[in-house]
Amino acid sequence: MSRISRLASLCFVVVAAAALAAQQTPPAATSPAGSGGLNRAPAAPTGPAPRLPNGQIDLSGVWQGGGPVGNIADGLAKGETLPIKPEWRKIMESRKAKDDPEANCLPTGVPRRDPYPWRILQTPTHTFLLFEGNIHSYRQIFMDGRRHPEDLDPTWYGHSVGHWEGDTLVVDSVGFNDKFWFDFQGTPHTETLHTVERYTRTNMATLVIETTIDDPGAYTKPFKISFTARLRPGEELMEYICNENNGYVQHITGAAKEF
Amino acid sequence: MRVSVGVLAGLATMVLLARPVVAHHSFAAEYDANKPVTLKGTVSKVEWMNPHARFYVDVKDEKGTTTNWNLELASPNVLVRNGWTRNSLKVGDEVTVEGSRAKDGSNMANARVVKLADGRRVFAGSSGGDAPPPAQK
Repeated sequence: MSRISRLASLCFVVVAAAALAAQQTPPAATSPAGSGGLNRAPAAPTGPAPRLPNGQIDLSGVWQGGGPVGNIADGLAKGETLPIKPEWRKIMESRKAKDDPEANCLPTGVPRRDPYPWRILQTPTHTFLLFEGNIHSYRQIFMDGRRHPEDLDPTWYGHSVGHWEGDTLVVDSVGFNDKFWFDFQGTPHTETLHTVERYTRTNMATLVIETTIDDPGAYTKPFKISFTARLRPGEELMEYICNENNGYVQHITGAAKEF
Repeated sequence: MRVSVGVLAGLATMVLLARPVVAHHSFAAEYDANKPVTLKGTVSKVEWMNPHARFYVDVKDEKGTTTNWNLELASPNVLVRNGWTRNSLKVGDEVTVEGSRAKDGSNMANARVVKLADGRRVFAGSSGGDAPPPAQK
């Protein structure tokens, strides 16, 4: 069956299931507040991307998404597959979901995201990405023209330097550890990972993040992924301390690839 | 109310296709969307903490034996954004929970919908992503 007809079949199943459910199940659940928190949020503003007084694009705001959560391959161009080396494919397929560092309250690394909002904060010398969710941490991107130091200690978020190419913020990062996974599926990388992220606010409410992933350790060639973050108008970050009560991870029995 | 196998299968399909990603871990590796469970009982404990709010329900079977179930919700952050408060569930509340059982066979489940003591059915935020709850009917 072709991909399109499979998709059509899936759509049919969903619509049919929804119709069946609508006929025979109790009224849909609502939230304790009635309309629900997110329903109270104002509609996303329209218009072009805002600019700072110096004319540069203003990326600041609270965003959601913009990177892989479940499967990094979702961000590939149509028809492309991950150029993963066979030995790393084997490692990936043997991974258990309970061992996902992110599920164990460790950072997502780059370019992974989680389902929580995050904020971009721009200063003349740094750009900060402030994450609510895993793990209530931040990335710092140096904007003062410095280069990556030699012989970096491997870290979860690596060392990031940024510059502007027209209206796009380009962030170059190296110095990663090999501990984080790219997604729930356990898509791997090694310490030779080098990422180049291109942040383009295509309009007021949309931020396209295109990332080139170059990791000769685990992949046969560099590849590009693209994900879109959406503005969360009126939203503020909340406290999220993942380690407070994460005592049930060992109940996760499935393989990472089951996601 | 009697729910047909077809409806349960349909709902399970929807849950599977929804690709729940609100958790900070894989849903499908921990819970079995093909094992829906409905539990009615009394709330014995509430843990309003990240990364997941949890509550525990004492469920009595027809023989009078009580089993304590451990039920996972979304995070307090997601629940608050969907209109919950830390007082939405209280110890002693009589509730009915619809969810999916843990794959490891323990008395754990992911709560999808909770019927609160006052009769309202509320979206538990666990399996639909960080999306608005279904429209009120």
